[in-house]
Amino acid sequence: MASKTILDELKRTQILELLEQGKRTDGRALDEPRELTIEINAIPKANGSAKLRLGDTEVLCGVKIQPDKPFPDMGDKGIFMCTAELLPLSHPTVETGPPQAPVIELARVVDRGIRESHMVDVSQLVIEKDKSVVGVFADIVVIDYDGNLFDACSYAATAALLTSKTPKWTMVDDKITLVDGGESPLPTTTIPVSVTMGKIGNHIVVDPNGDEWESMDARVTITSDSDGNICALQKGGSDGFTLDEMVQCGELSVRVGAQIREKLKAAQQEAQ
Amino acid sequence: MGGRDATMVLLDENGIRCDGRKIDEPRRIMIRAGGLKNADGSAYIEFGDNKILVGVFGPRDVHPKHMSDTDTGILRVRYHMEPFSVDERKRPAPSRREIEISKVIKEALEPAVMLEKFPRTAVDVFIEVLQADGGTRCAALTAASVALADAGIPMRDMVAAIASGKVADTIILDVNNEEDQAGQADMPIGYMPSLEKITLLQLDGVLTPEEYKKCVEVGVEGCKLVYDIQKKALNDKYFGKKGD
Amino acid sequence: MADRRKYVIPGDVITTGPFRPEQNVMLDGEKIIATAVGISEIYDDSVKVIPLTGKYIPKIDDLVIAKVNSHTSLSWELDINSCYVGFLPAQDVFGRDFSAHADELTSKLKTGDLVAARIANFDRTRDPLVTISDRDLGKIDSGVLIAISPSKVPRLIGKRGSMIQMIEQATDAAVTIGQNGWVVVSCDSPEGLLKAKTAIEMVNEKAHVANLTDQVKEMLDKKSES
Repeated sequence: MASKTILDELKRTQILELLEQGKRTDGRALDEPRELTIEINAIPKANGSAKLRLGDTEVLCGVKIQPDKPFPDMGDKGIFMCTAELLPLSHPTVETGPPQAPVIELARVVDRGIRESHMVDVSQLVIEKDKSVVGVFADIVVIDYDGNLFDACSYAATAALLTSKTPKWTMVDDKITLVDGGESPLPTTTIPVSVTMGKIGNHIVVDPNGDEWESMDARVTITSDSDGNICALQKGGSDGFTLDEMVQCGELSVRVGAQIREKLKAAQQEAQ
Repeated sequence: MGGRDATMVLLDENGIRCDGRKIDEPRRIMIRAGGLKNADGSAYIEFGDNKILVGVFGPRDVHPKHMSDTDTGILRVRYHMEPFSVDERKRPAPSRREIEISKVIKEALEPAVMLEKFPRTAVDVFIEVLQADGGTRCAALTAASVALADAGIPMRDMVAAIASGKVADTIILDVNNEEDQAGQADMPIGYMPSLEKITLLQLDGVLTPEEYKKCVEVGVEGCKLVYDIQKKALNDKYFGKKGD
Repeated sequence: MADRRKYVIPGDVITTGPFRPEQNVMLDGEKIIATAVGISEIYDDSVKVIPLTGKYIPKIDDLVIAKVNSHTSLSWELDINSCYVGFLPAQDVFGRDFSAHADELTSKLKTGDLVAARIANFDRTRDPLVTISDRDLGKIDSGVLIAISPSKVPRLIGKRGSMIQMIEQATDAAVTIGQNGWVVVSCDSPEGLLKAKTAIEMVNEKAHVANLTDQVKEMLDKKSES
């Protein structure tokens, strides 16, 4: 993400010492995510949107839904695309210019987490087979950085999609025409929730904050759906996990994911 | 950028505009100074339906070093629109329009920022348009000025901005999106209220010499209204209510 | 003594007349204009503005807390929380006999280490020269680093040190305040450490509030729960 800021040695030592005692610098338990606040419809002119704070990390997702051409060989499916951008105002080390590998990884992991869960049913997004489909674009921007962009971006996109409204189009004389008053909630099938865990020494911590992110040796992001099935996974960082640690992370992600899912559901209720 | 209602009445017989405003009435403006944790200074503005966030870093080291100036600091501005900020989704790569607006805003701020006090450094201004509705460059410039003050960058003056224009042969203040698309002229103006200097001025449309003079005057008066809101934003953050 | 304090933002005319413009103020004809967000003060023959925000500008002899960014074989580069980076030459630590072949810089200071340092020399054409060769300076081995706005440092110190002494006495913590806004707090008891941290953060948030000293004292006097 933001290229390595130098964490002062005292802080790094302190983080490890506390972990040995089962504690974290901000008082959380090892399996406890930070406070999550979601503001739905932050961008009223978009089809859906959510501004989200996870601790001091703040991200914004806007969903645009508009007619598009289908992919070749996929004329019976609409388009779903998720992008992520790290805005230079989010951290002093973020550079302008084309996205670097860490940000591309972030965008693709968030996209896969939602896509593989089949949250957006693209078979319902066809206007005319092979000619014209509906494109759903979830664009996420990071406004303030304090660790764990994977989860913050994923939750923002999910919340925005859950509360999006899609217009209706039909073909009239071969032209794509908007149907007046045809707006309806975007059909979704499940609520995917990603949980990112960092490995610091021999300890696994859920939702690493900025300082923990700099201290960790490896990380894994695991996405589960409303049925409790794991549908996407990405391991990163330059150290390795043991088999037991990986299994432990799988269990943690489903358990913590269920708690987060309740918050996303609440946001969805609020919008209705 | 089409699709506007060609039959929309921009100014009715009572002198009321398409969104209910009078000819010299600006849209609702709200500015908040600060708000971002990592930026050195920041500001958020709502100008009508425009929603724009600005973050400032600096003065800070310049990389690559050859871009720095031994005698003075440099100002860098990036105006950027999010894909979801406009009607038809915008692709993330910088457009020519964004590049031009970045330059125009930079040159509107340079007379105000005392860069000579920080040789070999840069001040970076990052403007993010979250939702656009006509007049984004004026709203952006206004917020950028507040963000720079919030960052403690020494400035000779604030820069306030608004667009004046012409619809139905009448000079109006604060051109919205519909008026920009279907009206007769749009003139964004940026102004330093204390030093009384115009630092941004552009024009789209046709004006007689008399209309041009009136348009600039109306714009300058409009900038003074915007300046009051900038002042309030900084007052609220720094000189808050006593005893809180 | 200062006369007539006023809240100002850039561009505000503070006064007119034959005053000498000092910090954060400029002369435009007869007008004295503020160039920063802050509090203006008019003295007999000069005017200045005390800024309420802004980066640390190094001044010679300032005590600062610095963090090692990197090093070459001849010097360390230090983050001093300013727009300029600090330059610490190897001789300052190893002495005159320093030899780039024999002496390894990381044996004394490595990336990420914190030091208490002094600004030895600075003008805007060169990066500030830093020294750690006095008795009260050098590598910091323990404690927690807290960042506050450099403009709040005078408030944290207080009149003749009154604010910081109050905090140290109430918590048994040792606090080193860098003029650059970086503060190191060490304390044997975790409760004392937390209280000292809270007090320092309170000063940073509420420096402009009139009865801040009372508010901080009240917080410190409260018996810590659990």
